[in-house]
Order: sequence, then structure tokens, then C-alpha cells
Amino acid sequence: MALTLMKGSEAIAEAAIRAGARFFFGYPITPQTEIPEYMSARMPEVGGCFLQAESEVAAINMVYGAAGTGARVITSSSSPGVSLKQEGISYIAGAQLPCVILNVMRGGPGLGSIQASQGDYFQGVKGGGNGDYHLLTYAPASIQEAINIMTFAFDKAEQYRMPVLFLADGIIAQMMEPVEMPEMVDYKVDPEKKPWAATGWKPGDDPAKRAVINSLFINTEDLTVHNDHLQAIYAEARKNEQMWEEYKLEDAEYIITAFGTVSRIARSAVDELREMGIKAGLFRPITVWPFPYEHLKAAADREGVKALLDVEANEGQMLEDVKLAVNGAKHVDFFGHCGSLMPTTEEIKAKILEMKEGK
Amino acid sequence: MKKYYVMIGNYGSGKTELAMNFAMKAAQHGRTELLDLDMVNTYFRLAEHGKLVNMKEIRLVSPNYACSGIETLSLPAEVASAFDMDWDTVVFDVGGDAVGSTALGRYHEDFMALAPGELEVLNVVNIRRPLAGTVEKIIHLQEEMELHSRLKITGMINNTNLAQMTGPAELRDGYEMIKQVSEITGVPVAYTSGRKELLDIFLAEGHDPKYIGTPIAIDTYMHRDWDSWVKGLSL
Repeated sequence: MALTLMKGSEAIAEAAIRAGARFFFGYPITPQTEIPEYMSARMPEVGGCFLQAESEVAAINMVYGAAGTGARVITSSSSPGVSLKQEGISYIAGAQLPCVILNVMRGGPGLGSIQASQGDYFQGVKGGGNGDYHLLTYAPASIQEAINIMTFAFDKAEQYRMPVLFLADGIIAQMMEPVEMPEMVDYKVDPEKKPWAATGWKPGDDPAKRAVINSLFINTEDLTVHNDHLQAIYAEARKNEQMWEEYKLEDAEYIITAFGTVSRIARSAVDELREMGIKAGLFRPITVWPFPYEHLKAAADREGVKALLDVEANEGQMLEDVKLAVNGAKHVDFFGHCGSLMPTTEEIKAKILEMKEGK
Repeated sequence: MKKYYVMIGNYGSGKTELAMNFAMKAAQHGRTELLDLDMVNTYFRLAEHGKLVNMKEIRLVSPNYACSGIETLSLPAEVASAFDMDWDTVVFDVGGDAVGSTALGRYHEDFMALAPGELEVLNVVNIRRPLAGTVEKIIHLQEEMELHSRLKITGMINNTNLAQMTGPAELRDGYEMIKQVSEITGVPVAYTSGRKELLDIFLAEGHDPKYIGTPIAIDTYMHRDWDSWVKGLSL
């Protein structure tokens, strides 16, 4: 198939449409405004609906409503906008509705900057909204990987009836790479497969078949049952959905952990360190929820591994999960910048050399 | 003769790169001004390459507060210097699509006052971009851009590429499609541009010079940080 030169935003939007997304609700914010812009032109072409909401809060509640009908729905925003969406995301998780949410991370806190960052790891993985819920969270490291994940993101969201979050940084949305697009999926809502979807009920119909979309369980026993059910789903997702990539780990003495764009910088650092005779390797979680704890633990436990270095474009957020995984068995160090400054291969190399010299 | 080059085209077709190349070449022969009129995307700014531009004694006009957190996307008053001062060459780098070319409308009277032959309005075409991948799409975009910019496109530039993965097939496929556009619209192919080694291969294939125009070997100035990370591309 022919390659196309695409910007991350356009590619992710097109991939979502080809995966069956027919509703987009959002509000512009740099560095992801090209996603709604692309959707605004493309959705009418495929008989879908693009709607620029009056705010991010409105947009996520439109997602809530449309997802309740069983349709494939997507929204996108960047950090401050995703903060605004948190209430709606918690409701959607509580009501067990599938949808896809894109967070193209920029510098924070507050309005921060418009440049790329990874500062919303905690927000995406450890909560964000209220209550005991999780989002199936992917951290793509290239445009092609974002496209590939989009081909199954809606399937996963529907399988577990939980929202899927793309935790991408501004670079993934802004960069251009040659990519291969999947074919258009002919997706139609099948009420038989989605008995929970509110697709129309009138008096006289079987009351048992009435779909109710709700996150309110006022009776404590009911809420406990509901939460136990959610936790059972999360346990299942933890068991089945972990994705990660290992690069040159077989004989590595130093394991670098990184996600998203930063993992590509780290990968270059691994190659350059190896040219210098230092055995470095990379462990890259692709799902950051569920985090591949056991697999990282197995990698860290290998004989010959001296230490781990976690690299992020934040203050060290995934670092907590890396430490949980390693569980004290090996030394875990950190390098990163807050705000919007990307760590460089030179900085990563210098840090590993420093660790090697025992500083 | 005094020359004005205006680069318009599909978003991401390579306008900034070509504007930079035109300005660098012109600077070898005379006084050159390069204007960044991109009011759409704040991510890619010629101002990031200010040092390089200054080295060649090109005067760069950028939007106010370019590359800062308070960039305001307003047209700087200095744009008037393009028409009022005595340059040998003036190059306009404009934002993508019809939206981007709207910024030119403001200078309609200035452009109209230029002598015949002084102005080249160039549609930069990369058929590997999704919204410029068919004859119909290219013609539609061309009409929209003319409407918004209040200018007539005088020529097309075949700048078909896949960034770091560009091969000889890109210029060839671009040639075939842009030829059809030219036959339908009557807009000539003014230039064909690409990295020298690929351009040489393309030119040796014996295509009709009418649809090649002037070949331009380009240098890559607009390096992005991520160009060095793409090694790990998971295609």
C-alpha cells in the first residue's frame, strides 16, 4: 500500500474514522487543534457528525450521551482541556460506556505552554476524576503506532465497556511521518451485541430490555456491587491488555524506561551508548494502564542488570510505577525535565555515565 | 528585474522549506527579504532559523512575538517594507490551505501595483499529502486559495515528497498528477523541486520539460528535533 506523508493529528483522526468513529465532539486547543479541524472536514464526508462544543465540559458530556447509544465516539483535547473533561470521564467510566479520548499533552500546570510534555501521566493513569475507575491507556511512540492502536481501540473499549485514553505528547500530534493507513471498517451498531445501548424503547416493550445509562447508585449495597463488577473488569484488562516493547535488553546492564516520544530519544541513546561499549537497553510500556509491572520486574531481575534509569518529560511520574515494578530489587534513577523541555540523547548518555561511575 | 515569490499550498506541502531555499539562492545575487505570513500554525517558524537567515544577510519579517508563549498571530506592520523598500527579491511564506492564504488578501492592492512579470504566485504541491492526493483535490484547493488570497496562481511547484523516506517515485508520481492538473486548469508547472540526487534521477527519465518547469535542487533547512529520533520508526 502507498505511503502518505501525514501529520500526527490528521493521521490519528483519519484512523479513528476508518475504525468506525462517526461522532466527534471537541473544543480547539493547541497542540491538537488539527484533530478537530480534520474531523470537521472529514466527518460530513462519511456521514458522521462533527460538533464544536461550547467547552470541553460540554464536549465530554456529548460523548457520554452519544456513547450511550452504542455509536463509536471520540473526543480530543490537550492537557488543560482534558482537566476540564475529568468529571465527564468519571461519569462515562461509572456508566460503563466505551469511547476514545485523546490527550495531546502540553506543558503544565495550568495553561502551561503549547509545547509537548508528558506531565499528565498521573492524571491519565492514577485517576483524574473521582472514584475507583481506570481508563485503558495507550502511550504511542510514533504516528504509525497511534494509527495501529486506533484500529483496535474501539474494539477494546467495547469489549471491556470502558473508555480508552490515548496519552500522546504534542510531538506525536505535530510531527509528520510517512504512514500506512488501514482500510475503512464498515462499522454498524448491532443492538444484539450491545444490549446496554439506549437505542429506543417505548411503553409496551419488554421492560427488561430497557437500557438505562447511569452512574448514580444511591443505595450503598448497589454501589458496592457495581464497583465490584468494575474491579473485576479492570482485573481482566490487567491480565489481558498489557503491551510493551523491549529493545536490546538481552544483555543490558542499564535499563532505560520511557514512554511515548521520549522513548524514541531513549532508543537513540541506547544505540549511542552501545557504540561507546556500554550495554544499555530500553523497556517501553505501550499501555501505561495496565502497566506491565511483572514484565518490567522480570527484565530488571535478569542477571547482569546493574540499575534502571527512568526518563520522562515530567518530574518523574511513571517513575513511581517503575519503582513499584522493580520493588527495591535494583537501583532506579531518574532523568527528566518539567514543563516542555524534551530530554536529549546527550543528557541521557551523560546520566548513564554518571550512574556507571557511581555518582 | 525585481521578483516577488509567494508560496501558497496545501498544509504541510513544504512551503517554508521552499521559501527558505528561494531566499537563500536569491541572497547570493541581491538584497532579499523573507516574510513569514503563516497565521495558522505557530509550531513551525522561520524565526527559529533566524541565525541562518541573518548569516546570509536576508531580512526576515516574522509575526510579533514569534516562537513565544504569547505569539499573537497578527500581521506585523513591517510587511509593508516588502513593497516600499528596494529589494531585489522578496519571498512570502504563507500558511497552509485556503485558510492560510487569506492573510495575503490584506495586501491585494500592493500586489496589483507590481509590474507584469514581477510576481510569481506558486502553489506548492505534494501529492503524498492526504488532502492533495487526487487531481480533483488539487484543483479544488487551488480554486479556494485563489479566492481567499485574491491572487491568481501563476504556477505550480511539484514538491512531492515523503520527508526522510522520499524516493524517485515521489517526483515521478507527482509529475503525472500535476501534469493532469495543468492540462485541465491551464496553470503551468513552474518548478520541480527535490533533493539533488533524487532530482537528477527524475530528470534523467526523459519526461516532458513542459510539465517539469525549472528544476530546483533544494537543501534541507527545516530540520526538526524529531528527525533524529525517527530511527526508531515502528512502521
